[in-house]
Amino acid sequence: MNNLCADIGYSSVNKHGEQLCGDHIDVIEQGDNSTVIVLADGMGSGVKASILSTLTSKIISTMVDAGLSLEECVHTIAATLPVCSVRGVAYSTFTILRLIDNEEAEVIQYDNPQVILLRDGTNVELPKTEQNIDGKLIYRSKIKLQENDIFILMSDGCIHAGIGSSLNFGWQREDIISYMEAFYDVGFTAKTLSTILLDECCRLYGNSPGDDTTVCTVRIRRREPMNLLFGPPSNRDDVDKMMSLFFSKEGKHIVCGGTTSTLAAAYLKKPLKPKLEFVDPEIPPIAEIQGVDLVTEGVITINKVLYYAKDYLKDNKTYTHWTNKRDGASLICRLLFEEATDINFYVGRAVNPAHQNPDLPINFNIKMQLVTELSDCLKKMGKRIKVSYF
Amino acid sequence: MSCFERMEYIMKITVCIGSSCHLKGSRHVVEKLQALIAENNLSDKVELGGTFCTGNCQHGVCVTLDDKFFSLTPETTEEFFNTEVLAKA
Repeated sequence: MNNLCADIGYSSVNKHGEQLCGDHIDVIEQGDNSTVIVLADGMGSGVKASILSTLTSKIISTMVDAGLSLEECVHTIAATLPVCSVRGVAYSTFTILRLIDNEEAEVIQYDNPQVILLRDGTNVELPKTEQNIDGKLIYRSKIKLQENDIFILMSDGCIHAGIGSSLNFGWQREDIISYMEAFYDVGFTAKTLSTILLDECCRLYGNSPGDDTTVCTVRIRRREPMNLLFGPPSNRDDVDKMMSLFFSKEGKHIVCGGTTSTLAAAYLKKPLKPKLEFVDPEIPPIAEIQGVDLVTEGVITINKVLYYAKDYLKDNKTYTHWTNKRDGASLICRLLFEEATDINFYVGRAVNPAHQNPDLPINFNIKMQLVTELSDCLKKMGKRIKVSYF
Repeated sequence: MSCFERMEYIMKITVCIGSSCHLKGSRHVVEKLQALIAENNLSDKVELGGTFCTGNCQHGVCVTLDDKFFSLTPETTEEFFNTEVLAKA
């Protein structure tokens, strides 16, 4: 056992004019530390491709998950996929990345662009062995995982980007590698890295992709705990208990809420220093308490964090805001989405009488709802979440 | 401060930037005060600061001037500045 975990993020765009994507990704967790990721690219586009790739990725991920051999998977796919009436074959390319105990990676590739591995900032070619199963040439690799490894899985839509228009031969794998190497050290999440690569593909396609294009990025990283305190406890006598539990936890500490940060400052016997910089006009300024990594206002800030979290899980269009702005909500996003893997929420259920004014869009129910929705979003990002109420 | 400098009276204005006051426009109050202080060259006589909730949300935007409480809106900020700050500075 080690302290590593995988941050997995993927994104697709459809071929111009298509409503369905012909690429499909399936991620299956095997226990806490092993994962099977399958990226399949069905022949053609639209409904047919979508069915082929969905079937392929589902069959492979389910069978690999059940411990069946690769040969059996390939036989099953060949025997099951509907045959294309135009071309007379049943065909979907696939890439399998299997993370075993977060210690070792097994990569199995059939006809997709070769998986990219960035290690220590540069490209490392995977050692490959060839295998012929039912006339299909399949490459297998096994490699020990290291902290900060980044795997990039692609469908051929990526390397065909810009073909015949902005680039003569499409976007070569070598060029994709050097493009992505530039982002190695920034600390972007897997999802954001996928978005960055996909956005560039779209740009090369002149925003009308000639093929379904999919990127899946996997970052191997160390587990990172994070703690967030939000709201005073319903019973005033529990303040010390809540604070001591919160501050004794390993990892960074975020305190959200005006009253909450006043209580935290009193507990730590340190001054609370609010700043007067309105970096984002919508978000109240942050504050400082020695011993706390980040102090922000409560409901308005968390509401914005939730907005960013929902977008992140969907189109990830707002990453350009929260990855570099310095308002309270963006700072929380960077800590929760990028840095943290295990998040402990300490939520106080005290009702703020001033917030129960019907003129204000903030009240107790909204606050509790925010916590529920945000922790759901973070779980979907692959974080381990624990919520304690006081 | 060196002992040769004259100890001068510095006015302290504190504006609440908590959730409730924020929604009632504390950002505009802060920005107006910052502009007015700069216009009147009072930055060495008036100290402007922020605070989180002071428990008076019903009367927001909550502002204190040397511990005296004022309830402001962005519209009444200039009047407050003229009568309470400029007159005494």
